[in-house]
Amino acid sequence: MNRSSIVAIVLFAAALLALFSLGPQATRKIQATFFQVISPFLKTGSGLEKQITSVRTGLKSLDELERDNTALRVENRSLKATNEALRDVEHEVNRLRQALKYRERSLFRLVPAEIVSRDSSTWWRTVTINRGEEDGIAPEMPVLTDEGLVGRTTTVSANIAVVLLVSDENCKVAASVEGTREQGIVTGERVAGNLSPMLDLNYLSKQAELKAGQKVYTSGVGGVFPSGLLIGTIRTFQVRALDSQAKLAPAVDLAKLEDVFVVIVRK
Amino acid sequence: MIFFLLLVAFVCVAQIAEIFIPPLDWMFNAHVYIVPVIVFYGAMALPFPLMLSLAFVAGFLWDAMTVQVLDAHVEISFGWSILLYAVLAAIMHGLKPLFNRGRWEVHCVLSGVCTALILLAQYLMISFRRGSLILNREVWWQIGGPGLLAMLMAPLIFWSLHWLSRLTNNPYLPREEGFDDYASL
Repeated sequence: MNRSSIVAIVLFAAALLALFSLGPQATRKIQATFFQVISPFLKTGSGLEKQITSVRTGLKSLDELERDNTALRVENRSLKATNEALRDVEHEVNRLRQALKYRERSLFRLVPAEIVSRDSSTWWRTVTINRGEEDGIAPEMPVLTDEGLVGRTTTVSANIAVVLLVSDENCKVAASVEGTREQGIVTGERVAGNLSPMLDLNYLSKQAELKAGQKVYTSGVGGVFPSGLLIGTIRTFQVRALDSQAKLAPAVDLAKLEDVFVVIVRK
Repeated sequence: MIFFLLLVAFVCVAQIAEIFIPPLDWMFNAHVYIVPVIVFYGAMALPFPLMLSLAFVAGFLWDAMTVQVLDAHVEISFGWSILLYAVLAAIMHGLKPLFNRGRWEVHCVLSGVCTALILLAQYLMISFRRGSLILNREVWWQIGGPGLLAMLMAPLIFWSLHWLSRLTNNPYLPREEGFDDYASL
């Protein structure tokens, strides 16, 4: 082995040791910088991908477009009105809670985001969105669609963020079952053969009597996810030696995810 | 040096391109990995120090893209992919005489095997961290599938890179009978 190889090995080992010793914050910082550097490529690639898909599938007649546009305008007005009404209710609830000396419910705002890339690795189920710190997003924020829970943010750079999907084994969500007092933890499966796998609801009591079709919501325990977000619907339920477990179909079709909302809680 | 810089550029481009290649649902969601094949070609066409540098770049990019920081811990430390790449590329580098003698098919097969080994090592590390080992048909396909695809892609990628290596007068590739004959076809 010549001298240059030995020097290379020493330098390589030193650099590797330095990387191994990185803590979570430093790792996040490196990742955020990396995503910031590649964000123009990700956004361009995503734009091209969307254009190709829209050329292939999106050829609609003018009549169809006009009909869609009218329907969307009506729906938009109706949603705006509902939103305003709910905001009034939210203020009223908070005022009453304050009067009763309860802690005020956190107000939150939704930041819309587009998916720019998905599932870049085999073992972790993530997507990348086109919003970041500049839009007020930080790590550990819930991400959802109008259908239900999608996941939570992990690495966040200036204008791009990585979302850990609810179908990942590491995304643990405290949940409660509709119409019961049952509470458990929803996690994804470690390995799945498709893009929208089933979820596991674990740590249910042994006495639980759940049926297929019951809805499962976030319970709000843990602090990351607010309560009341739909996670999925029970498909199967089994009682085990020490507890019970249910399999859920996710509320959101994670394979066809295009637009999401990041929940920014104003404390 | 020009060829080394070209390989680094290819690794960066391939790493970003891989994001936009959807997993193959007919292969139990197996991913397509191009970067390992480029690195393993570099292991044969570059001297040891540059091979280590290429492995470092490839591993760094992979980790920057995939390492999961959850709450207050990192699931697999930043740097493990670099080590895996370096060890496997060093093995390929050791088999360079075979490649020079024209036995390039050995390296094509090994590229697939090594790609699968990287995924297997990652999976074992994750399983160790999460406390249980699940080995089912999906797992084997998600490990073996990318390996198989890398094996199939390797001849074309090797041929293209070898052609480029000759074009840039890469001084580290011995001009003997062998793969040069294939690349000049």
